[in-house]
Amino acid sequence: MDRPRRLPLQHLVQREVGRLLAPLWIPVVVMVMRFGLGYRVAGLAEVRAKFARIREAREASGIPMLICANHLTLIDSFLVAWAISPTWRYAVHFDELPWNIPERRNFSSNLRERVSSWVMKCIPITRGGARGEVAAVLDRISTLSAAGEVALIFPEGGRSRSGRVDVENAAWGVGRIVGALPGCQVVCVYVRGRKQETWSALPARRDVLDVEVACIEPKSDAKGVRRSRDFVRQIVSQLASMEQEILDGRQ
Amino acid sequence: MDQAEVMERVVKILTPWVKNEEALASVSMDTNILEDLKVNSARLVDVVIAFEDDFDIEIADEDVDSVNKVGDAVKLILEKLG
Repeated sequence: MDRPRRLPLQHLVQREVGRLLAPLWIPVVVMVMRFGLGYRVAGLAEVRAKFARIREAREASGIPMLICANHLTLIDSFLVAWAISPTWRYAVHFDELPWNIPERRNFSSNLRERVSSWVMKCIPITRGGARGEVAAVLDRISTLSAAGEVALIFPEGGRSRSGRVDVENAAWGVGRIVGALPGCQVVCVYVRGRKQETWSALPARRDVLDVEVACIEPKSDAKGVRRSRDFVRQIVSQLASMEQEILDGRQ
Repeated sequence: MDQAEVMERVVKILTPWVKNEEALASVSMDTNILEDLKVNSARLVDVVIAFEDDFDIEIADEDVDSVNKVGDAVKLILEKLG
């Protein structure tokens, strides 16, 4: 895919308004997570250093990057963003705050939520909605990624009901995005609170979050939907393997 | 292959993924695959690959964008079969 020089206008406006308001909301969100809810990321400096190395390599090469994370709580996108980069970086380099694709029913039920999620670089999607609408959102993410933006997406499609990475029900649309971005690197991020047994709205108060980061470049010789399925399976398998490492490490 | 034959095979392929058996009993070209038959959207890819294998056709990601109803799948397969 040829990289467009500029973002589509609607996303350019959304990003720049978000950038202007970032000093108001990003510190508040982080303070609430850190001090209000008492969350702590184990080995935070190491996690951020690892992601910084991936980000720098990507900036040097210019290849597209997509962040894929496991999904257990409603605030996973905040947790991931907080874990992988310092708050000040998002204020200074707002481009590095990933675009997020929340479930429309969870974050767009009223005007306040719609405005907040828009400012926070969200592009809502109706999971399981009409194929054409889902495809339009996926195409927007591909366009953003091709233009050098970073998006965060949950390949399991929703919060895992089993509390473990749901390998069987991966959303193959993620594979379609990867397929549209030649050479795309996928940064897999696994986040799990030590008190997290299964899915929930929020991690338990004062929970310690274990975070793993790994970068992969999914490959497939297949065509069409099989290719997309291959890509998403590789991503979800990587997340499952990271999950196993974290759970094994706790025993 | 005519439309009725394709429809019959499409319904047979869909059956293992259908969660609403009542809707399956009265399935028609207008039946919505996700909303009426309650097929898990994440498993739609497996359904499409089963279409590919059964009809010996190749379906692109973009082709699936227009598939909402059983009739859409039937029309797409008929198009691919030429």
